[in-house]
Amino acid sequence: MVTTGLGATLVRAGRRLLSSLPALFGVLVFTFLLMRVLPGDPAVFFASGPNAGKEEIEQIRKQMGLDKSVPEQLVFYLSDIGHGNLGRSMMTGQPVLKDLRERLPASLELTFTALLIALIAAVPLGVLAALRPGSIIDHGVRLFCALGVCVPTFVSGLLLIYVFYYLFGLAPDPTGRIDVFTSLPPQRTGFLSIDFLLAGDFEGWWAACRQLILPAVSMALFVIAPLARITRASMLVSLGSDFVRTARSVGLSWRKVVVTYALRNAILPVITIAGIVFSTMLGANVLVEKVFSWPGVASYALDALLSSDYAPVQGFVLLMASLFVLVNLVVDICYGIADPRVSIE
Amino acid sequence: MRFVSFRLATSVLATTALLLIAAAPSQAQTRAETLRYVTGASVNTLDPNIPGSTRESFALSMSTYDRLVAFGRKQLNGKWVFDLDTITGELAESYDVSPDGLKITFRLRKDAKFQDGSPVTAEDVKWSLDRCVTAPILGKAQLLTGSLTSADQFKVIDPLTIEVTLPKPDKLALPNLATVYPMIINSKVAKEHATADDPWATAWLKEHTAGSGAYAVESFKPGEQVIIKRNEAWNRGSPGKPAFFKRVIVQSVPEPATRANLVERGDADLVLDLQASDVQSLEAKGKLKVISTPQYNAVTYVSMNNQIPPFDNVNVRRAIASALPYEDMFKAALFGRGAPLFGATWPDGKPLNGIYPFQQPVKLDLDKAREYLKAAGLPEGFSTTFSFNVGQAATAEPMAALVKESLGKIGIKVDIQKLPDAQMSTQINEKKLPFFTEGIVAWLPSTDYFYRNFYTGSQRWNYSSINNPDLAAIAQQARFEPDKAKYEEAGRRLNAMHVDLMPQIMLWQPNQDAVMAPSVEGYTYEFHRQVDYRDVSRK
Repeated sequence: MVTTGLGATLVRAGRRLLSSLPALFGVLVFTFLLMRVLPGDPAVFFASGPNAGKEEIEQIRKQMGLDKSVPEQLVFYLSDIGHGNLGRSMMTGQPVLKDLRERLPASLELTFTALLIALIAAVPLGVLAALRPGSIIDHGVRLFCALGVCVPTFVSGLLLIYVFYYLFGLAPDPTGRIDVFTSLPPQRTGFLSIDFLLAGDFEGWWAACRQLILPAVSMALFVIAPLARITRASMLVSLGSDFVRTARSVGLSWRKVVVTYALRNAILPVITIAGIVFSTMLGANVLVEKVFSWPGVASYALDALLSSDYAPVQGFVLLMASLFVLVNLVVDICYGIADPRVSIE
Repeated sequence: MRFVSFRLATSVLATTALLLIAAAPSQAQTRAETLRYVTGASVNTLDPNIPGSTRESFALSMSTYDRLVAFGRKQLNGKWVFDLDTITGELAESYDVSPDGLKITFRLRKDAKFQDGSPVTAEDVKWSLDRCVTAPILGKAQLLTGSLTSADQFKVIDPLTIEVTLPKPDKLALPNLATVYPMIINSKVAKEHATADDPWATAWLKEHTAGSGAYAVESFKPGEQVIIKRNEAWNRGSPGKPAFFKRVIVQSVPEPATRANLVERGDADLVLDLQASDVQSLEAKGKLKVISTPQYNAVTYVSMNNQIPPFDNVNVRRAIASALPYEDMFKAALFGRGAPLFGATWPDGKPLNGIYPFQQPVKLDLDKAREYLKAAGLPEGFSTTFSFNVGQAATAEPMAALVKESLGKIGIKVDIQKLPDAQMSTQINEKKLPFFTEGIVAWLPSTDYFYRNFYTGSQRWNYSSINNPDLAAIAQQARFEPDKAKYEEAGRRLNAMHVDLMPQIMLWQPNQDAVMAPSVEGYTYEFHRQVDYRDVSRK
């Protein structure tokens, strides 16, 4: 039976989704147990008023459901998740689901922008380096990538703040997604740059973009290296292959040879790496979020982890696992578009 | 197709550029009337009574709610600090304490209104105080320290008069009513949101306010920012006037270097929690106002668990007290920004006064430390761990390194343990740490209060786990001692015992460094160690 390209992709996507469910369940149980094995009693931590005694600690323990046995807690936790309830954060006092829903767009917006900047910078850099291997350009790109990887994101973040905000005053103050004096647009997507456009508020849109640039650049600097290196490597392979030689020999234009034939064939590994980079960025941008006071999910999870606030950490891990599954799916679908052979099973 | 999208893109760009040019400065005129306060912590509840609420939540509630009474302020070495001994009316127009000290009668202000416009009545006061002592909230343990334990103690006399009865004449009863927790809530509104499971509306009040305070909450994003706007009808500060700032923005900025940049660039008006090194450099530049107040109701300790060998031996504790490089620690950890509690000289070997915390007669003397170790039967020294929590790493880490180095010289091998905050609190609570550094704070800093809470019992705050019946008895007796001279004498005896037993070593009282724009005035160091937004104004 012959399926169309799109249909096959969808079937594959559906299968992938189903097969990832056990993994998600495993993550759920594992995080749950891990949090309880960690030393540190959240109840004691949160009962830290100047007079909080045993009674307050018991009170909080009960409130968090910690007075029950671990298997019982697990059953309650799973049934809560089944009802779409991720529990309540002690730290912010809000339901975890609400916190995540408010903070995830902030993280996604930052990560998408950073990835976009990184791709726009890395792919041409990689292609240039591959076209002239061993040249000054190649070494220049290598040096730039090495520097980008060496400098931790919070250092580059602080440096950018120092130069663009503190010294020259070009950037707005690095405190979150929007200047405190700007009023927010009605929330539709949660992505401020989109919401402002939908609301037709271009001043606000510009303000949001200005806030976004520095953190996105400091994150992008860190991931340009793997992307540029992989682009270079796979471009080298594809430039040296038979079909490029053929294309060159029949006298196709330089542009057609490099962009249409070589790059399109070289882009598959770049997509894979971009998918992995994206997932790691989402979780690992905690330092950037801290430096720029970005109200994202990663800094939220770190704060929760430090104070042994179970519910947010579990919620965060579940969210990340689900996102990972989704990103893998998207990468799969992108494969199909970049290389039609992939979707034929 | 390609052509169309190109044209679309250019036209979008062009429109955007035009709009950007057209829509330039439109804000800014209210900037002078707005206070932007940045902090590393965050507000997590609008009701400070909720277990787990942060210090920023305490500060916010001081502005959104009124209490019956408030602390006055006094100058200490040229800086404004709260004054425990002056209690002024806030919602109470006046109060009387009966001659036997068992009854306090409050008369409410006739003009006091809640933010929804309804008058503040004695019924509201009773409901709020009842809530504080009955509901499972933080206020209960606090009011207990002022002999306020049951709803029967609060009696409505008439709509504007309420009477508080005490079982014993307790000095701390009145000050307790000025603390964060016994805030006066609009009981009619709160009752509407009470449920059978939650008769005191704790869930609703966590997210909403129903008070009569100087500010009303405009927006509340837990973990990010809170914006409050002025209540024009409020006149409990200076007569006939509301608070100064029309709006206050309380914003969380986790990175201390960023907070320093913000206030230096003039984008933030006030910040409390900068790193000591940043404060020093900002002060040296001289562009900003820096007000450093020793936190005179807080103490940082090096604690030893008096129940765990070898620290159960008094001579080991004395040896440690003689082997700490106090001056170096003070400089490395705090850059000297604070009040030292070491290096005193007691001419006749007796305490200079009965006030706690006091400067102890301890200094670095390794020969003496070795003698003490010998007396303890451990001339070769021993091995132990020294713990601190991650949250305090900026000050505790350099300090721990110095402790390790110095104790190494007398043969005590120290392993430094850096623990996540929750783990550290758990281990302290379970009394498992032998040797560590921690701090305490008391809202109502009187000598007996310190000794009762931090040197007796098995609760978490007795860091040294000291269990000395004499000390406990003197402190307990001092609590209800009406005679000032006798109280002072009890304080001297407790302080002498502290130095003799050396359950833990007081190091210093760190400074509260408030860094603010030069135009900000009126900053006062408050008992909750945060800014009271009602205190500050702009020149």
